[in-house]
Amino acid sequence: MTVLLWARRQLASLCVAAGVLVALPAFSADDTIKIGSLHDLTGGLNIYGIQQAQGLKLGVADINGKGGVLGKQIEVVEYDTQSDLPKYTQYANTLLLKDKAVAVFGGLTSASREAVRPMMHRAKVPYFYSSLYEGGVCDRYNFIAGASASQQLGVLLDWAAENYGKKFYIMAPDYNFGTISATWIHKYAKEMGGEVVGEDFLPLSASDFSPTIRKIQQSQPDVVVALPVGASQTGFLEQFAAAGLKDKIGIVSTNYGSGNQQVVVSPDAGEGIIASQEYFHWIDEPKNEEFKKTWQAAYGDKEPIISEAADAWNAVHLWAMAVEKAGTTDAEAVIDALESGLSFEGPNGTVAYQPGSHHLKQNIYIVRGNREHGFDVVQVFKAVAPTYEDEVCDLTKDKTVSKQFVPE
Amino acid sequence: MQWDYLAIVALSSLTSASVLIIATLGLAVIFGLMGVINLAHGEFIMFGAYGALIATRAGMPLVVAIVFAALVTGLFGAVVERLVIRYLYGRLLDTLLATWGLSLALYQTAVLIFGSTTPGVGMPIVSVAIGRYSISAYFLFLIAAALVMLAATYLILTRTSYGIMARASIQDRDTAAAVGIETGRINTITFAFGTGLAGLAGGLLVPAFPATPGMGIAFVAKAFLAVVVAGPVTLTGAAVAAGTLGWAASATASYLSTVMGDIIFFVATILLLRAFPNGISDRWRLKL
Repeated sequence: MTVLLWARRQLASLCVAAGVLVALPAFSADDTIKIGSLHDLTGGLNIYGIQQAQGLKLGVADINGKGGVLGKQIEVVEYDTQSDLPKYTQYANTLLLKDKAVAVFGGLTSASREAVRPMMHRAKVPYFYSSLYEGGVCDRYNFIAGASASQQLGVLLDWAAENYGKKFYIMAPDYNFGTISATWIHKYAKEMGGEVVGEDFLPLSASDFSPTIRKIQQSQPDVVVALPVGASQTGFLEQFAAAGLKDKIGIVSTNYGSGNQQVVVSPDAGEGIIASQEYFHWIDEPKNEEFKKTWQAAYGDKEPIISEAADAWNAVHLWAMAVEKAGTTDAEAVIDALESGLSFEGPNGTVAYQPGSHHLKQNIYIVRGNREHGFDVVQVFKAVAPTYEDEVCDLTKDKTVSKQFVPE
Repeated sequence: MQWDYLAIVALSSLTSASVLIIATLGLAVIFGLMGVINLAHGEFIMFGAYGALIATRAGMPLVVAIVFAALVTGLFGAVVERLVIRYLYGRLLDTLLATWGLSLALYQTAVLIFGSTTPGVGMPIVSVAIGRYSISAYFLFLIAAALVMLAATYLILTRTSYGIMARASIQDRDTAAAVGIETGRINTITFAFGTGLAGLAGGLLVPAFPATPGMGIAFVAKAFLAVVVAGPVTLTGAAVAAGTLGWAASATASYLSTVMGDIIFFVATILLLRAFPNGISDRWRLKL
């Protein structure tokens, strides 16, 4: 009996101690600002996700080195979404409810962005998406840091028509990025008097492209618009070249190189592939050398820097600028600051948020694959505005809209 | 319907079937024959692929590199068998867990060593013209390779004394041991043989399918389904199952879309298992 009494008293004091310990953090001052990172560090999409997360952390280190934001250091709470869509919603909830992040950076596939975007909208937390994509998103709480289809495809298809011909074949992954990009290609092809002679949508796990290659041969296009996403789809370029098709049919892409696919693909297969994006490791811009040096000091120079990494760097810097301008991390004030015409000198030149559409006016580069697992810059288009998004979306007038516009 | 169109559809479907057969053979030996649920099969294929990659970068010609990949993976498989698998024969759920853990460990090790992108080997840019179309010569080579692998495995397991001992050890371990067969050593060799076949698959496929840490995932699900559909006559059954399913999926993909091809693959698997619950080779009176 006395033993039980003793145990109960110890339990009581233990509980009091635990209670105090749990409450302690609430008493101490919160001297870091928490932002969330949702990226695919493992799985087939980690060819993008690892560098996205690295770009974000490098940007944060850069800002913290200059004194942080509002006098406080930024802390990145990072979650690995493992190329698995349900993990995005799961960890987004964790960031919002447990970590109480004041801004979230993440997402690679458009599917992941569309899974997370409504959650961020409901929770009223600014969400930055650092990747090229098919365009059309219009949401007060979403800021796109990558290029949209209207910026990349228009420029790319004009170039392809001039250099190869006007008959297009589309090879795209089978989800919203691929299908909506295909809609854009149909639209641009029709506008220029060209024709889409065939299209094939492939699951992300597809590795055998013999049927697609046979269909391409049958429809006899001048150029294939290939949009390989993920590690498996890179095999298409190898198999296409091995079938002896590269001499007769050109390949253009808006996302080849965005995951360093040109490192994997053999020189014979990669030479001559045309890609267009908002950043490449080889572009000649004032801040790119400095950016590459900072990157290599932190992460080594094993592989080239991909566009999404530069997008993440730009995104977090623009967010930090907005917080400084607003004087607070409060979402509404920060968003108003982002809509006030902020611009930043990134490694890919000047990037500036269009107030109405939350998309960046930025440079678009056309490059050609070379035999050294890299690219040579062919043409630069300066300060390309996201014309479609500016046309359909004005968030300064309508703050409640939350959808993705798709061309008819 | 012109001849070259029919020929190219037949050949490209045959290629897809061959790729599946090559990827499945190792699992047919380990899962079909030995009954070990090896969820790390995809990672053994990846092991072979990276082995071939390292060998070609060290200067070996492709053919030698592929053989090297098979041997190295077989050796690694022997080590795995000695350390992990031999304690778990007959314990299905435990082997499932153990091999699942192994697959995760191998995957992450590959990411740490090689990173997520590595320069690939590249297919030889040699193509064969079929009328108005062309097909990569390497794919035709893969068709031949699949047939050779099947024949060789069949002959090894039925015509050599090792083969007889291997099948005896699997069929009834105690009786085999009573007759004087060193079942422990034979099982290690058989497991190594299976993983060696997986490594060979990786080496053969790596020019066409870029070597990435997750490359095994593309093959593992279909390989398992093919082996389950195959039934008790493992080798012939797996060849027929993988061949038919791969061929049907590819032909569908040629006419409709690749997504439909995948759907047909799985629907066909369901229908076949419904019609033949024990596998298609249930009533066959073949040896292997």
